[in-house]
Amino acid sequence: MLNVLIVDDSLAIRIKMKNFLKKLGHNVVGEAKDGQEAISLYQELSPDLITMDISMPVMNGVDSLKKIMKINFDANVIMITANGQDGIVKDALKSGAKGYILKPISEEKLQDSIGQIFSEYFCDQSDILDENDLDDQFC
Amino acid sequence: MNEEHKKIHMHTKDVLVPIIKRVKTYLEDELGIDVFNTSDITCPDNIHIKKNTVMIGTTGSIKLIITLGFDDVLLNKLFEIFIGDDDIEDSDLEEVRNSVACEVTNTIIGNAIDNPIDNSDIYITPPVLIYEAKTLKKSKDSKFVFVTFITKYGEIELTAVGPKEQFENELDFKEI
Repeated sequence: MLNVLIVDDSLAIRIKMKNFLKKLGHNVVGEAKDGQEAISLYQELSPDLITMDISMPVMNGVDSLKKIMKINFDANVIMITANGQDGIVKDALKSGAKGYILKPISEEKLQDSIGQIFSEYFCDQSDILDENDLDDQFC
Repeated sequence: MNEEHKKIHMHTKDVLVPIIKRVKTYLEDELGIDVFNTSDITCPDNIHIKKNTVMIGTTGSIKLIITLGFDDVLLNKLFEIFIGDDDIEDSDLEEVRNSVACEVTNTIIGNAIDNPIDNSDIYITPPVLIYEAKTLKKSKDSKFVFVTFITKYGEIELTAVGPKEQFENELDFKEI
């Protein structure tokens, strides 16, 4: 289970994302309406993952991503955008985003994107479970 | 009329063509709402902006304001489909309904925006909902381009207005 911070100016999208993430077994620890609020909440909550909309008022997602990466170079951020033009996505990935999802958002897209970032983590977890299972069997 | 304004006059329709296609595919493929009819692209002298209209600006080498206006019944249907069985607090209903209009507009325009001039990236501004209906009368070097989509739940009106810098928030002409 991952602790996730949702960053989006749209209440409809925050509700949608929250429900997708819950269905996928993750825990939403916070919600931010713009990039500035995201930075504060990131420092306060230290989430495992951030879903970050690109187009937002006050501070956009790419600027917020850049500031978060300065705080923690290993932060896991998935960018959410309706605009899939090369330069915008490349800028986000170059700035440290681990992946991006092109809107419209769906549970499947979210699951795939999280799976790509955390595949190693999930494999490690399943390895541990397998070992535990074996121990249980031998005990 | 300066060179940039001439470009906008020449290319506004070209910017709208992929958006027109995306309005239809988004409604039909993503939301299951049939579009019965799409009007021809017109360039009127006046445009009526209905309430429930969302505006998005483009920046880069083509600067326009693109709007999508939704009939009430259609917006209610979009809200119903978008939210599905998600729980919404009564106090949030209005904001969620408005943000569905913004999100649908953002997705359609963001997915479809293309640059017919030089292929450089076009950035889009966050969507802004216009609450009050209003009529805009063409003036100065402005250009209006307009298309209507008809569904069984009502109409969507797509408008491109340019050049962007002639307008303030809520699509009022700037006094220059």
